[in-house]
Amino acid sequence: MDAYLVSILTVTGIYAVLTLALNLQYGFTGLINFGVVGFYGLGAYASGIGTETFGLPFTAGLAVAVAIGALAGAVVALLSLRLSGDFLAIVTLGFAETVRLVLTNEDWLTRGPRGFSISTRPLPEGLGRDASTLSYLGLVLLLLAIVFVLLERLARAPYGRVLRAIREDDLVPATLGKNVFGYRLQAFVLGSAIMAAAGSLYAHYVQTITPDNFTTPVAILVWMSLIVGGAGNNRGVVLGAAVVIAIYEGSRFIAPFLPWLDAEQVSALRFIVIGVALILTVRFRPDGLLPELPHHAAPAEAAAPASRFQLDQHEGIGL
Amino acid sequence: MQIIVNALASAAILAPAAVAFTLIFTLFGYANFAAGAFVTIGAFAAWTANVVMGLPLVVAGMVAVLVTAAAMVACDALVFRPLRGRSGATLLLVSVALSFVLENIIRFGFGSQIKGFDLPLTGPLSIGSVRITREALAVVVTAAVAIAAVGAVLAFSPIGRALRAVSDNPALARVRGLPVERVLGFGTLVAGALFGLSGTLVGVDLAIDPALTWTVTVPVIAAAIVGGLGSPAGATLGALVIGFAEELTVLVLSPPYKAAVGFVAIAAVLLLRPQGLLGVVVNRK
Repeated sequence: MDAYLVSILTVTGIYAVLTLALNLQYGFTGLINFGVVGFYGLGAYASGIGTETFGLPFTAGLAVAVAIGALAGAVVALLSLRLSGDFLAIVTLGFAETVRLVLTNEDWLTRGPRGFSISTRPLPEGLGRDASTLSYLGLVLLLLAIVFVLLERLARAPYGRVLRAIREDDLVPATLGKNVFGYRLQAFVLGSAIMAAAGSLYAHYVQTITPDNFTTPVAILVWMSLIVGGAGNNRGVVLGAAVVIAIYEGSRFIAPFLPWLDAEQVSALRFIVIGVALILTVRFRPDGLLPELPHHAAPAEAAAPASRFQLDQHEGIGL
Repeated sequence: MQIIVNALASAAILAPAAVAFTLIFTLFGYANFAAGAFVTIGAFAAWTANVVMGLPLVVAGMVAVLVTAAAMVACDALVFRPLRGRSGATLLLVSVALSFVLENIIRFGFGSQIKGFDLPLTGPLSIGSVRITREALAVVVTAAVAIAAVGAVLAFSPIGRALRAVSDNPALARVRGLPVERVLGFGTLVAGALFGLSGTLVGVDLAIDPALTWTVTVPVIAAAIVGGLGSPAGATLGALVIGFAEELTVLVLSPPYKAAVGFVAIAAVLLLRPQGLLGVVVNRK
C-alpha cells in the first residue's frame, strides 16, 4: 500500500472519530460545540506531556487525555448548558481560543509555538516502516470502530431517543420526568472525552504537535464532515469525514495548475472552497448525504417551529 | 487612573461592533459569528485607503465604513437571504463558515503579514500623571459619537421605529404593511457601517492581520451578551465591562491572556444574571 494513502486514511480515521463525537453532541442532542479543537488539542497535549514529561506509557497517556477531555467538557457544560444554544456556541468558541492561548504561552509546559516532540509510540519497536504505519492505521481504525459501535448502540437505545427528544423540544422530555440537564451534560462530556482521545492518537501519530495544529480550519473540517454526511446519522458522518478529507487532500494537487499563486494563497484558496462548499451544502442539502433514519425523529429543520418571518396561525393579531 | 483610560480605549473599539451584533441578533434572530470577520474587513479597507492610497486616516475610516457596509449587504443577499426562516443554529453555523471564507479571502489578497496604519508620531497628552495618546482620545470620541447617533436614530426616527417593530415581531410588522425586507436591509447596512468603524479603531490601537477575525469575535459577542442583547446602551455597557476586565487581567496575568477574558466574563455574567446586565430574558428557543 502506498505510504501517502496510508497516512490519508489514518488522518481520515481521526477526523471520523472527531465527527462522531460532534454528532453525539450536535447531531443527537443539538448542542452547538465550536470548541472541537479545544478538546482535541487538550487531549493531544495531555497525552504528550503525560508520556514525555512524566514518562507514562502510551495507554496511560491516552487515559489521562480522556480524563482531561471529560473534565474540560464538564466545566464548559456546567457553565453554559442551562442556557440556549447561542451561548454554548460562544462559550465553546471562547474555550478553544483560551486553550490555544495557554498552549502558545505556557512554554515551560508545552514548549509553545516551537512544538512539542513526542517519542513514545503505542506500537512495539522493531517493526519496519511500512508495518508500523499500517499498524498505526489499524490502531486508529480500532478506536473508530469502538466509538462507532458505542455511539450507534446509544443512538438505538432508549437513551438516544431521549437525546433526540431533547434536541427537538426539551419541554417534552422534561414534562415526562427526564432530567434534561443531566442528559445534556452526559452527552457533552462523553463527546469531549472522545475528542480528546482522538487528540491523543493524533499526537502520537505526528510526533510533533504545535498550537497551530488545533486552530479553526480543523473545526471547520469536522463541522463540514458532519453536515455533508448528515447530522444525526453515525454512518453518514463517517462517510462525510471520508468525503471531506478526500476533497481537502485532493485540492493539494491544484497548486501546479496555478503557478502564479504563492503557497499561502493556495492554502487560503483551499479553505475558501471548503467554506463555500459548507454554506452551499446547508442551503441545498441540509440533511446531508445520508439523512437521519426514519425510525429516528424527523430532522431538526423540518420539525422546527414556524420561522419568525411567517405569520403564526395561532397568534391573535390586534388590528 | 491609567487603567481607566486604557479600559475606555479597549471598550471604544469593541462597542460599535457589539452594538452591530446586537442589532443583527434582534432583527434576524441569529447570532452572527462573522462579526470578527466584518471588523477585519473594515480594518483592511481602512489600511488600504490609508497606506496604499495615502489618504488621511479620517477619510480612510469613512472608506472602511462604506466598504464594510457594502460587504455586509452583499453577504446578506448571497448567504443569509436564501436561508431566511431556517433555525438560529443553522444560521449560526453558516455565519462561522462565512467568517472562515472571509478570513481566507483577506489572507488571499493581503497575505498574513501584520500591518499598521501610517500615523504621524505624536506625543501623548498628559493630564497629571495619566498619559492619553491622541489616538486613544480620538478612538473614544469617535465611538461615543457613532453609538449615540445610532441610538438616536433607533429611538426617535421613523426608520428606527420600523426597525424596532420588525425586531419585536416581523410577522406582525409585515401584516401592518411595513416593507420588512427593506427594513432588514437598512439594519444590515447600519450594522455593517458599525463593524467598519470598529475595524478602523482596531487598526489605530492594534496591529492589523487576518487572525483578528477570531480574536475579535469572542470579546465582541461577549460584550453584547454581557450587556443583555437588548439595546445599544446594553452593548456599550457590556463593552465597558469587558474593557475593564481586560485591563485588570493584565495586572495579574501576562498580556496574551487578555483575549480569554471575554470567555470568562460571559461565563461569570451568565451564571449570576442570565439575562445580561441590561437585558430582557434571552433564553429563547
